Amino acid sequence: MYDTIVIGAGLSGMLAAIGRAERGEKVLVLAKGHGATHWSTGCIDLLADVDDPLAGIAQLAIQRPHHPYALAGPAMIEQGIARVRTIGEAADYPFAGNLNRNLLLPTALGALRPTAFAPATMIAGDARQLRDGRPTLIAGFAELRDFFPPLIAANLRAQGIAAEAAQLALPPTQRQHDFSSVTLARLCEQPAFRANLGEQLAAHVRKGGYARIGLPAILGLRHATAVVRDLQNRAGALIFEIPTLPVSVAGMRLYQILEDELLRLGGRIQLGGFVQRAEHIGDTLVAVFSEAAAREQRHTARHWVLATGGILGGGVRATPEGYLYETALALPLQTPDGRAGWFAPRFLDEHGHPVFQSGVRVDQRLRPLDAAGRLVYENVQVVGGALAGYDPIREGCLEGAAIATGWAAGQA
Amino acid sequence: MDHIELSLTQSLDHCIKCNICTSACPVAAVTDAFPGPKYVGPQAQRFRHAAQPSPDASVDYCSGCRVCNQVCPTGVRIAELNARARAQIVAERGMPLRNRIIARSGLVGRLSSGPHAPLVNFTLNFAPARWMIERVMGIHRHAPLPKASTYTFRRWFKRHKPATNGRRPQVVYFHGCSTNYYEPHVGKAAIVVLEHLGFEVIVPPQRCCGLPLLSNGDFPAAQSHHEYNVAQLLPYARAGIPIVGTSTSCTLTLKEEAPELLGLHGDDIHAVAAGTYDIFEFLRNLYEQGRLRTDFRPIERELPYHPPCQLRAHRIGRPVLDVLGLVPGLRLRESRAECCGIAGTYGIKREKYQIAMDVGKSLFDFVRASGQDLALCDSETCRWQISGATGVATRHPIELLAEAYGLAV
Repeated sequence: MYDTIVIGAGLSGMLAAIGRAERGEKVLVLAKGHGATHWSTGCIDLLADVDDPLAGIAQLAIQRPHHPYALAGPAMIEQGIARVRTIGEAADYPFAGNLNRNLLLPTALGALRPTAFAPATMIAGDARQLRDGRPTLIAGFAELRDFFPPLIAANLRAQGIAAEAAQLALPPTQRQHDFSSVTLARLCEQPAFRANLGEQLAAHVRKGGYARIGLPAILGLRHATAVVRDLQNRAGALIFEIPTLPVSVAGMRLYQILEDELLRLGGRIQLGGFVQRAEHIGDTLVAVFSEAAAREQRHTARHWVLATGGILGGGVRATPEGYLYETALALPLQTPDGRAGWFAPRFLDEHGHPVFQSGVRVDQRLRPLDAAGRLVYENVQVVGGALAGYDPIREGCLEGAAIATGWAAGQA
Repeated sequence: MDHIELSLTQSLDHCIKCNICTSACPVAAVTDAFPGPKYVGPQAQRFRHAAQPSPDASVDYCSGCRVCNQVCPTGVRIAELNARARAQIVAERGMPLRNRIIARSGLVGRLSSGPHAPLVNFTLNFAPARWMIERVMGIHRHAPLPKASTYTFRRWFKRHKPATNGRRPQVVYFHGCSTNYYEPHVGKAAIVVLEHLGFEVIVPPQRCCGLPLLSNGDFPAAQSHHEYNVAQLLPYARAGIPIVGTSTSCTLTLKEEAPELLGLHGDDIHAVAAGTYDIFEFLRNLYEQGRLRTDFRPIERELPYHPPCQLRAHRIGRPVLDVLGLVPGLRLRESRAECCGIAGTYGIKREKYQIAMDVGKSLFDFVRASGQDLALCDSETCRWQISGATGVATRHPIELLAEAYGLAV
């Protein structure tokens, strides 16, 4: 019997679990597998399309009182982010940024993406610095798929940034093939590999006079800050990482520091535990059952946090027949009226598609409600992507809303 | 079409190519010989067809640790895809003599154990003999091989007199090959603990669970073993008598591996699967029902514990931590290493030995850094691997539980 069981090991679930473990509760995180963190940039997006995210959130809370930000409240946003930053500092993986001004960081396509906080390993890529007229080099390895320096540099130049591109020669290694982002990250933690990389970068700097170098976010798995520091010294230029396509090494690092923290606090994590049904007495959830070999495993707790994500994270599933359901507890969902209402007519509609706002409707304390507004479970809180009434990716608030609601649910 | 077959075809669509499995795979992390679960699993599967030859032999380098299944965010059963693909290759090309032998752990155990065990053990510790075995058989000369026992567990059990008699609830014990031939002390510990908890323990006839055959791709032989065991265990399962095992890979095979990989879906197969428990899973259930005795002696120790892949594949959490956590003074430090590398018979093969040692490195470092002279692990081949690599004695947690109850083994 746990005090709290959190279902889902993404950002919101881990924050809720850490908050509860910190209060001395016995906590279990039960998750189907790795998820959203490993797909994401490793940055903390609060709100896109604004310069000042905190002011934007305040306005949004007035206009949309059911938005997760409005439910969590500004204090939870600030405290949750502060907690993530403390965890990062302690792990020598600090986050830099500001609640009141978005950074603009290059993507793997060379677009500029607003985000509020980024790991220190990415921070020198902020467009305001890149626009100072001094040349920037975008470099990568031909062996790394889906990262094309010439494309990135060309798109940055189109946005007024003096960027050039180069392919680096892969330093000698015992590996012969398949250089995924994770393979390269492991190699970067080997001194000889890094020394070779540093020499190549220094040669480019001598030739092109670059002030900064953008590299794919593969600069180490567990010691990224030290790897970047070392490469900067060797290259004689500032270095910034650009998030790659999944698997995202920067996202894995974010998950790793949160997992370390939760385990340090005495929490437990069970991956491969797909929650598929619930047992309740009245409006109290008593147990959940996770899929296991030969029979289900029954888990009991006093308090529950549902952090399984939305359509992307797998917490909300859609059937081909046009039915949406919540996978773990079969909670009622707030969805568009009928299958015809799922999508806007245009694929790239600027308002997004209504179906992605599907999720669980909750009360002020994040407890699930049914269509009539009645409380479903008094001892369950819903956080992150599973919540209704917002489109986290479209709004650029995926991490912010996850942290704010996760932290709120962690505060008992 | 059974649900593995269904997932064999459907997972091609369920797989969203996110590469989470490949980034978590402990084998792909250390060798180029294995390109990773995504490639040999859902991707290569598109090129596998019953009427055509297997496109790629690298699937043989899958150790079957199932880390990929555990981390997959969309629920693709990658390890099962790989196991079936390997079996298809074996069916097409035949099985090397070495694999035929090491996959028959019951036979090997029967030949090794007994009064002549010291001679067997001497030979297997004798460097020139191991060199020969490596040359002839392809078993790496440094691979950790278990010590054969001078007596079998079954022999001990026949003479064993329970401390109390009379009507008690019954439980069936599945000992597996390693307990019978190499580590009878594990079985003895299980028996005394179960009896201490008020059970009458039954040990029916049994064969190897068939896992080594499954992981070496000999499915027909594995099926005959499984059907034999099901026939022996079925009466108990039907009577509601739990079947409990100390070898976490045997219990997993009875519960899931054999039925799923072999596509066996009869009621009898399911009844035995549903009646089988890993021993700490069983003990944890007792505790949750308030039926576990907690008259423990304190053990003031902090010990490293490795939850093996085969235990994690049960998807039941960490029952050892839950139960041994009740012993006053005892603190277990859980290893976070993905795998010890050995994966049953994988790491003893000449061409895979170094891969297995590289995979297990972080676990070995963890065990050595603990500074303790004892580590715990639920799986026999993992225990031998950890002991072999670190020199730290590695025991089954049930042995420590017996000690906590103050029971002589």
